[in-house]
Amino acid sequence: MSRKALCIAHLYPDLLNLYADRGNITVLRRRLEWRGYDVDVVRVTHGEVPDFSRYHLVLLGGGSDREQAIVADKLRGCKAEFQSAVQDGLPVLAICGGYQLLGEFYQLPSGEKVPGLALVDMVTEAMPDAPRLIGNIAVWSEEVGVIVGFENHGGRTRHGHRPLGRVLHGHGNDGVSGEEGLRHLRIWGTYVHGPLLPKNPALADAVLRDALAYAHLPDELEPLDDRLEREARAAFAALRMADVAPMLRSEAGSP
Amino acid sequence: MLGIWIGKLILWILMLRGRDATSLPGKVALRIAPGLLRRFGGRVKRVIAVTGTNGKTTTTSLLASMVAETEPVVTNHKGANLAQGIATAFLRACSWTGRLRANTAVLEIDEATLPVVARDLPIGVIVVTNVFRDQLDRYGELDGTLAKLLDGIRQTQATLVLNGDDPLCRYLGLRSSRKVLYYGMRRETARSPRREQMRDGQFCLMCGQPLRYDGFWYGQLGLYRCEGCDFVRPHPLYQGELQGGFLRFSEEGLPALMLDLPAAGLYNAYNVLAAVSAARALGLPSAAIHGGLRAYRPPEGRMQRFDLEAPVTLHLIKNPTGCDSVLDAVVSDARAKLLVIGVNDLAADGRDVSWLWDADFELLVEDARLTCVIATGLRAYDMALRLKYAGFPESRIRLEPDLIAALKEGISSSAAAGAAMHALVTYTLLHPAARWLSERRDQLEPQGALYRTSVS
Ligand SMILES: [Zn+2]
Repeated sequence: MSRKALCIAHLYPDLLNLYADRGNITVLRRRLEWRGYDVDVVRVTHGEVPDFSRYHLVLLGGGSDREQAIVADKLRGCKAEFQSAVQDGLPVLAICGGYQLLGEFYQLPSGEKVPGLALVDMVTEAMPDAPRLIGNIAVWSEEVGVIVGFENHGGRTRHGHRPLGRVLHGHGNDGVSGEEGLRHLRIWGTYVHGPLLPKNPALADAVLRDALAYAHLPDELEPLDDRLEREARAAFAALRMADVAPMLRSEAGSP
Repeated sequence: MLGIWIGKLILWILMLRGRDATSLPGKVALRIAPGLLRRFGGRVKRVIAVTGTNGKTTTTSLLASMVAETEPVVTNHKGANLAQGIATAFLRACSWTGRLRANTAVLEIDEATLPVVARDLPIGVIVVTNVFRDQLDRYGELDGTLAKLLDGIRQTQATLVLNGDDPLCRYLGLRSSRKVLYYGMRRETARSPRREQMRDGQFCLMCGQPLRYDGFWYGQLGLYRCEGCDFVRPHPLYQGELQGGFLRFSEEGLPALMLDLPAAGLYNAYNVLAAVSAARALGLPSAAIHGGLRAYRPPEGRMQRFDLEAPVTLHLIKNPTGCDSVLDAVVSDARAKLLVIGVNDLAADGRDVSWLWDADFELLVEDARLTCVIATGLRAYDMALRLKYAGFPESRIRLEPDLIAALKEGISSSAAAGAAMHALVTYTLLHPAARWLSERRDQLEPQGALYRTSVS
């Protein structure tokens, strides 16, 4: 492998595959390859044990309740290694079910608590009568600007960290706080999928810069031609979230 | 009675105006007479229900076509598989006094609708084609679909005809305590997985342990067995094997049938296998099976062909597994070609378009005969982005959100290049596309006839 090689681990793609996380992996891989990096994507499937010393970035996607419980079970077996890598700055992108897994527990509508990894100070509860939070979503992040996508979760999440951003349209962590996602160390947690990264290239690049820094590589990324991405963001907002459309229209017009 | 009259009246008006009348008459009639389905259910002797994620429209049409060789049949068309579509099918078939000529109905029934209508209809056979992930925002998650199917099945005393290659169907069979007849492909024809294929439900639903596969057909269909308990693919009573353009159908103790396939590909072979297995379960003679296959015409969007200035094939795409089988058929077309891909995000399409990223659009990048893709529909930009990240050159992706403009552009470019055109569209774009393409064919036909006369 060349000097500029990065290793991305996709944890349990066979279990956590509900919301096209394959799309997020594709975006991370392509945006590195277009800039001349070699990328090694490791798919850690249910029969395998992750080796956290090898990875520069970890992606945890979403799955059904049953599958999330299986993953939580598997990851608890290597929790210490995961935890110390994260403390050392290993970037983690955790989406939907993967995001919930980072916390202390996920309480099912039945009242049963599925224990999480407790990597962050966070709990998620699914109330028996509360509706699922479903629909298009836009979030304002100080770090990467507007994040757009789709959310679909029954759980309400509360945590003691910074949020990823403020909800401009949609529900976010719990539907009432106006906050979406979580930022802590190099952890990026969010309910936004759709998948998350194709229409949010600034976020993809921010995550990649974290991974480069963790790999002790220069973390400047050459700009790419993101015209199509900007147009796609603007078209999506114009169609489905008129309230945030002006913010994205001005962005699409910029060079 | 009033419900029937008003329903028939609406049906009659819509048909006079040339409108699509697959749901509205039934919807209005059911509002006036909520017991309408039970009344119709009492007037037929048997109902065969076809449900599942993929292939139920085709399987229903094939089976109805076979039954129609021996007796009159009531059936719902064009995938109108909710209660109002089923009511419309009966309204269409009955007289103004509500009398039915047919004793048998072959009905496509949506997975979530099955438990709602199961008590009203004398369902004697239920065919489940497969259970794939589909329309997440409607059902929540996969487990919900299984629960609804099971609920529906348990309200009947029906014999089940199930796809034994699908572990989720096998689960339904084991949990239903009904008589089950399984169909499946011949064991020796399974292949090892080619790509990162999605396999929903690859965990044993009986004990939670991983399922091991000795071979695959597509999606989660394969030779599965549980590592932790005795959950295993059953030996199918009805077996299929692709041989050239035919499906060899065998059942122990009976001579094998060589069946015509109305459309290419494994995916369609499964539909034929499902329909023929159900026909055998009903005791239809082989003459009716052959005759029904010959008489069958693909409905809208199931590889429907239009001879325009360029040859056009219209396909419905609605979920990753179905989309993959369409992409497979497109790249195996040996002609030079151009694609129009239309994606909408209305309720019937699914409001979340993330499934586009689970479908294997990377297949298109390897197709040297594909010159250009025009992305269209409300989510045209999402489609274009999907192609860009699949590695398809951006210079060969065109954007035209308006469907008709995209079809026009596609046809004229294809004609100029001597290429064939494939249009792949989601549900709410299907009827507009089919309608526009047929109108265009009707406009062209008089000229075509004139031309043919002058050369003969
Ligand atoms: Zn088992």
